Amino acid sequence: MNTTKSNERLLDVRGLTVEIDGRNGPAVVVDGIDLYVNKGETLGVVGESGCGKSLTMLSLMRLLPNKIKVTKGSASFDGNDLQKMSNKELRKVRGGDIGFVFQDPMTSLNPVMRIGDQICEPLIYHRKMSKAQARQRAVELLRLVGIPGPEERLQAYPHELSGGMRQRVMIAIGLACNPKLLIADEPTTALDVTIQAQIVDLVKDLRAKLGMSVVWITHDLALIAGLVDRVAVLYAGTVVEDAPVDELYSRPSHPYTRGLLASIPKLSDAPASRLSSIGGTPPEPGRRPKGCPFAPRCPLAEPVCHERVPKLEPLAGAGNHRAACFVVQKVQEAA
Amino acid sequence: MSAIPLSTIEATQEEPPVNLWRDAWYRLKRNKLALFGLVVVLILGFTAIFGPYLTPYDYLTQDLQARNAVPSLHHLFGTDDLGRDVFSRVVFGTRTAFLVAIVVTFIAVAIGLVLGAIAGFFGNPFDSAIMWLTDVTMSVPNLLLVVVINASLKTPIAKWMEAQYMATLNPFYRQTIWVDFFLVFGSMALISWPPYARLVRAQVLSIRSRPYITAAQALGLSNWVIMKRYVVPNALGPLIVSVSAGLGTAMVLESAFSFLGVGVNPPTPSWGNMISDGLRVWQHYPHLLAAPAAVLGLASVAFSFLGDGLNDALNPRGSK
Repeated sequence: MNTTKSNERLLDVRGLTVEIDGRNGPAVVVDGIDLYVNKGETLGVVGESGCGKSLTMLSLMRLLPNKIKVTKGSASFDGNDLQKMSNKELRKVRGGDIGFVFQDPMTSLNPVMRIGDQICEPLIYHRKMSKAQARQRAVELLRLVGIPGPEERLQAYPHELSGGMRQRVMIAIGLACNPKLLIADEPTTALDVTIQAQIVDLVKDLRAKLGMSVVWITHDLALIAGLVDRVAVLYAGTVVEDAPVDELYSRPSHPYTRGLLASIPKLSDAPASRLSSIGGTPPEPGRRPKGCPFAPRCPLAEPVCHERVPKLEPLAGAGNHRAACFVVQKVQEAA
Repeated sequence: MSAIPLSTIEATQEEPPVNLWRDAWYRLKRNKLALFGLVVVLILGFTAIFGPYLTPYDYLTQDLQARNAVPSLHHLFGTDDLGRDVFSRVVFGTRTAFLVAIVVTFIAVAIGLVLGAIAGFFGNPFDSAIMWLTDVTMSVPNLLLVVVINASLKTPIAKWMEAQYMATLNPFYRQTIWVDFFLVFGSMALISWPPYARLVRAQVLSIRSRPYITAAQALGLSNWVIMKRYVVPNALGPLIVSVSAGLGTAMVLESAFSFLGVGVNPPTPSWGNMISDGLRVWQHYPHLLAAPAAVLGLASVAFSFLGDGLNDALNPRGSK
């Protein structure tokens, strides 16, 4: 196992709430999220499109667009509250202690800048390196992320590289300043399957080498099974379940998690069988149900589920397995 | 991964360019038409600055013995109806053309850049107001606006200047040429800025929401650095192209106004008023029309070739 892992919290998000100023008044998109990442740990954040995964991560770094605001909650990183920092302090954290890898490598690199210069940018800005030092480090970084012929590639423009190569460059930029935390926002969605596996292996490898924490946002539970230590499942802007990865797969305790796991196709399924799916759609922001947000789609829902919102609480007999569900028992029995 | 280090097998290359501008220059050099445009623009620019000192004749000197002379070694482009050397006048006209083009474009781009950036960056209500203003300006026929400005302002300003001269005896107020320029430049800039404002607004709007801007923010770069290295270089291509083509357009526009008698006033030579004069007698003395028209055409074509070339050069994605 990873020896650098500890129980010290690196990132601790509590009750983070994000609202969008819409035409019909503010709509809650992230509703009191509780998340934490320990030092050296890899957390997978899973959920379907629009459940607030990316918004949560962007709001941590206060990178939200104009009309979207954090209204409640705190996010402390290494003991400092990111929400209360001055812009200047925050800029030091961005790209310095927290590296970010974006979803779409095709559009997340500046098209008119050579990739060498883009990798050098945070080094010159945060580490006050000279141009020559930064370039040397950029070559190291490109080699680290497995790009052949790094000296030549420094001169390339983003459009001259393939998608996988560009994502490697993004990772190199994210890693440039040896961050304590790397946030990867669906870094493999835009890539094809073989490249996805390569990127996952790359990050796994780098995490061990550099001893950093990783938050990997994805909607693909199967992809990250071998990568992450712990998984937080998001639904409609709240964490519904949070458990070590093996525990989550073997004992899913929220009906939504169960549905997600069941919807991964298996080779052992009968060839003509229907793919399993969760009926219905997530609630729209601003039109959240009164009780548990998943209740309308939940096959096991009881009257209480429509009345009150369940809290994320530790399960009996498993200290770091938490779920927000009134009918945990029923879920575990059904599984 | 066992990658063969490319550095060992790659043959020695010439030192690669290290920034956007040197890069753009590399690509521009390979584009023949753009290079032609650049050379012509440089020659015309040189002519505009030094030409009037190098011509054999003054542009005002009249040689009534040799009126309407055909081109010869003495008078390369012949002489006009007052016996003035057409070559010297075309050369001085180049200065007028550049002056008008540069000043007008500069003012128009300045207005367009500020208004466009405000509209694109701050959004409503500025956006609506500014775009409304652009639409209104663009909906007024250009020539009409210029004629109205000239007709309504020229006399009052001339009177005011006269009064100032009477009061102060400062010879500055006697130079009506500045009034001309002021009116011509002012009215032309007034009709030229809307396209720049729209262009800049569109650029800022689209660039502001690109993922690489968020990515740059996530790197902890300051807004200033992001503006300088991410927004501006990406917005610049279209603006430079538009400016380059706009310089040519401004020259043509000035000629059109001079042709109609609302441009630079004689005796200051401009290509436009020379064409206007030449057109009256072109059946008899075609060289009086041909010389300034050819130079104007050449300048206009050169600027648009250069603009096109710059467009390709500044956009690494667009080039092969």
